Amino acid sequence: MSDEQKFKIGDAVMVAVENPDGNPRTPKYIRGKRGVVAFAHGRLENSRDHRGIHDPLYTVRFDLSEVSGCRGGDTVLVDVHEEWLRRLNADA
Amino acid sequence: MSGKHGHKPFEGHMHDYMAHIQAVEEDLEYYRAKRFEPRVIYLLRRGVVTFYDLLKVRATLKKQERFFSRAKPQGKNIEARVRYLEEWLDEYVKGIALVSARTVEALDMVTEDNRKERGDYDDFFKIKKKEHHGNLEERMAALQQDLSDYTELLEVFVQALIQRGWASRKELAQRWQQLHEERPWAGGVIVAKAWSDPEFKRALLATGREALREMGVHQGKVGKLVVVENTDAVHNVIVCTLCSCYPYDILGDTPWWYKHESYRTKIVQNPRACVKEMFHLEIPAEKELRVWDSTSDVRYFVLPQRPAGTESMSEEALAKLVTVDSLIGAGYALEPAEQRAREAAHAEPEMPRVRPD
Repeated sequence: MSDEQKFKIGDAVMVAVENPDGNPRTPKYIRGKRGVVAFAHGRLENSRDHRGIHDPLYTVRFDLSEVSGCRGGDTVLVDVHEEWLRRLNADA
Repeated sequence: MSGKHGHKPFEGHMHDYMAHIQAVEEDLEYYRAKRFEPRVIYLLRRGVVTFYDLLKVRATLKKQERFFSRAKPQGKNIEARVRYLEEWLDEYVKGIALVSARTVEALDMVTEDNRKERGDYDDFFKIKKKEHHGNLEERMAALQQDLSDYTELLEVFVQALIQRGWASRKELAQRWQQLHEERPWAGGVIVAKAWSDPEFKRALLATGREALREMGVHQGKVGKLVVVENTDAVHNVIVCTLCSCYPYDILGDTPWWYKHESYRTKIVQNPRACVKEMFHLEIPAEKELRVWDSTSDVRYFVLPQRPAGTESMSEEALAKLVTVDSLIGAGYALEPAEQRAREAAHAEPEMPRVRPD
């Protein structure tokens, strides 16, 4: 397993719409949505909660308007595993 | 510095009996449908224990072998009867911890197994929760019956595990005693220290668990801790939309509403409306509201703002201003006058106790 993380803070990312073999802990309300990497946690161990070690984990910041019908400057930050994230191009 | 906040119906003083009963009802259904029954079903599927074991064990169980027993209420007044139900719920929750994988290692269950089994990822597997109707007396009577029924199944399940050789009576008795050795809630002392000691605050926000280790706060083995700071510019709120993840090992159990589907869906759909409706909390328009969804191995709590007029207070006094709600973002820390008023009215809520890991 590589220790390298694919993304870094500030990267623009999009959450995959579907990922059948992926970690199920990716909530539906962020699928297909665009955000920015706020933190990179690396690989975390939590042997009480699950077996094995998952892909690197990131906290991704979404504008509230991206994930709900609300306007304004509020944000939602969600922890997402690397396998669910796609890099967005600079002009996306 | 924080401003005033309004009355929070979810914190329930003892004069609001219906709020207390509602909290017990909701929590009881959560623990049954999300923590206990999925575990039983998981093991039934694997033949660890069968339905027939449960029936046979119940038929032959002797009174002196029982793990769970209920004393009577401490009085006939309504406070005593409500407390009785709350304490019974607490025993039920401890009983579930008794049959967790940490006690019965051969069961080899992790939390993720339970999440699948209870329908977190697929509604097909959800277990229906009971609805509650009637006036206060009717609901209290129904609640007592439910507690009795649910505890009975738990008792029978424990005995079946022993009979089938998955656990020894002696080890379970030891663990049962351990589960009653709870620790005090650490939220108050942690926040008071962060308010008083800038270096500790910096370390807490930067390193989470490491700072608490140096402080000597007991912690379990539950992933990474991130503490997020409320400021004049930002108000933070914590949720686990998928289930009810929380830093239990430091802060004990969550309020019932944190685990409830209504909070978990509304807080990410319209956070401002949600906190106003549920907690009477109006966040100023110029502040950013940040919702943190703990979906994985990171657990969060909020460092609330230090209230005005507390500059000369000791850490011990500051700790009393910290509420369970303020560490989730459902409220602010108390103003000193509010805390004094509560103390005078004997209306201070009991803090959650922290169970052994």
